[in-house]
Amino acid sequence: MSRVKLEALGVKLPLFPTTSVGSFPKPDYLTKARAEFSHGKINQSELTDLERKATQFWISKQEELGIDVLVDGEMYRGDMVAYFAERMPGFTSGGLVRSYGNRYYHKPIITGAIEWPGPLTMEWWKYAQSLTKKPVKGMLTGAYTIMDWSFNEYYPDRRATAMALAAAIRKEVEALIAAGCRIVQIDEPALSVRPEELPIAIEAMRKTTEGLNAYFITHACYGAFEEIYPGMLEMPVDNFDLEMSNSELDMLGLFRQSPFTKDISFGVVDVHSHVIEDPSAAQNCLRDAQDVIARQSIWVDPDCGLKTRTVEEAIDKLRVCVEAAAAMRG
Amino acid sequence: MAATKCLYLSHTGSYPRIGDSTELQVLRRTTAAVDRGQATQSDLRSAEDDMTRRAISDQARAGVDFITDGMIRWYDPISHFAGKLAGVEIRGLLRFFDTNFYFRQPALIARPTRGGPVLKHEYEFAREALTHLPSPHSESRTKVKQVLTGPYTLAKSSLSQDGATHDLAERAGAYAEALAQEIGDLAAAGAEFIQIDEPAILKYPADWAILEQALVPLLRARDQVVKSGESLKLALYVYFRDCAPLYTRLVNLPFDAIGLDFTYNWALVERISQEGSPRPLGLGLIDGRNTKLEDPATVAAQIEKMLAKIPGGVAYLGPSCGLEYLPRDRALAKLGLLKQSRAALMGMPVAASGGAQ
Repeated sequence: MSRVKLEALGVKLPLFPTTSVGSFPKPDYLTKARAEFSHGKINQSELTDLERKATQFWISKQEELGIDVLVDGEMYRGDMVAYFAERMPGFTSGGLVRSYGNRYYHKPIITGAIEWPGPLTMEWWKYAQSLTKKPVKGMLTGAYTIMDWSFNEYYPDRRATAMALAAAIRKEVEALIAAGCRIVQIDEPALSVRPEELPIAIEAMRKTTEGLNAYFITHACYGAFEEIYPGMLEMPVDNFDLEMSNSELDMLGLFRQSPFTKDISFGVVDVHSHVIEDPSAAQNCLRDAQDVIARQSIWVDPDCGLKTRTVEEAIDKLRVCVEAAAAMRG
Repeated sequence: MAATKCLYLSHTGSYPRIGDSTELQVLRRTTAAVDRGQATQSDLRSAEDDMTRRAISDQARAGVDFITDGMIRWYDPISHFAGKLAGVEIRGLLRFFDTNFYFRQPALIARPTRGGPVLKHEYEFAREALTHLPSPHSESRTKVKQVLTGPYTLAKSSLSQDGATHDLAERAGAYAEALAQEIGDLAAAGAEFIQIDEPAILKYPADWAILEQALVPLLRARDQVVKSGESLKLALYVYFRDCAPLYTRLVNLPFDAIGLDFTYNWALVERISQEGSPRPLGLGLIDGRNTKLEDPATVAAQIEKMLAKIPGGVAYLGPSCGLEYLPRDRALAKLGLLKQSRAALMGMPVAASGGAQ
């Protein structure tokens, strides 16, 4: 239980604190502006103004909904790996590859030594935090996932690549903490892809976070967790943010067999469905959860980033999280 | 110089359905427009046709002997076939092995059954598109290879929702029956080469007996076609893990060729050069998962080591897996490497790397 750690960091949260996994949908004006920017029709400053406007919208929307731990919504990012790769020496931009259905992304290519070029997200975190008194999470992508989601033409093997990335991401964590950030989420959705590489993912996370004073969350989704549980509990983080709704709560069975020993951000709404869940269904998920995990350790959020939903759907899904958490608090 | 008369160039499956230019984004744009209600299903078919023709053209221009249709119309390797069977509902996303790609999981609510041909139209379209390529490609020996995901991998990737299909072997058997019917229909439509993909067996080797049993109806379907006087080759391809632990069992399966992914264990080259293979092999020596371009001379040396130990020197050089995991420019360059590697093996000058020649 990491409430003691949070309180030591000056963060006091209610039972079943609500949060989000990271991304929110971009308002239409920002989507249009990003396209115009890529065609050279507007400049960086004009784009940044709109990204700030959209960030402000989502901060105020989260406050209005009563979310406890906020995110900046990643209005300035396209893809969770490409954003970092485009800014870090050592990467070359790759062409588009498909992720699923009609979703494509620019998969980066590692062609040289990876370096940290200076703060990548810290200014955005400072801006988002300046808009609210509630804690805003620092949002990063983990070294193992950046390695797994990139082509490698430079390092001798996957471990060496992950460690080089961990050294760079650690510097970003240090920059966020120096700016005042107390909760840092380092996403590792690739965590369960190659179960035999779990030790590499753990080693990379240790290299990223060891000795740093913050509450660390890692998000993972859509994987064969049965193959890495309970070994994944060795990850040096305080909170696992897991997609529980889409996996139909299969993981609770694993937790019954071997106790879950960390805090959990428990996904209660499916981010790939247009259907808005009934808050009572989300509440039932949480009831099931508290049979297996201490209620003081349960946070509430969507399964994954909401960027693929419409703005209205995302707000409605967040509201479901808030209502379910409120009902659980009694 | 090695005897290379029977070294065919063979694509392994998927091909990028997008590129960086506007014209190469027609399928993405049309799919998004359909989702918004601003384009029709007919528009979507037309965009799929366009990108399929481009995939075929790229392969033919690269000199590939056995091309695929690029699997442009497939949402993913699992739900495309399974989702068209009665008794199957398509559910949430799951990661496709260790790739950055996701598939929709089939849920079996009853025993899956096939109502009619599923891929026949796709095969016929590809064959027709190939014949309409500008000369001289239309006169080449290029043939269309149809890819099917195998019964074991389909079953292993599916969820059971009723008692009748809860057993993995039973699920695999039901899929095998549907696939055997599909093989018959594809052969009747003129298909001469069908590739069955079973990547899941490398991850779950303990299921070998289930795989072996599930493949029987497919082999029987091939035998029936051949018995009737038609020509049909059935190949089994495995990838995404080290093939070495199952190598002996794989090459003893009565397929016309066994396709292997060498990128997880290069020692397999040495092993085959010593042990040999009782049947033709698909040589997945070009990494379909990484952009780094292989050296044609190195690939040629690897082929040379193995070719003498393969009956008749019949082998199919190809990417280790489908090429959809690469950006389009690199996928095209990898296709180009096939021809360059064969040229290097023949002691011919190798054209510059970086694209199909």
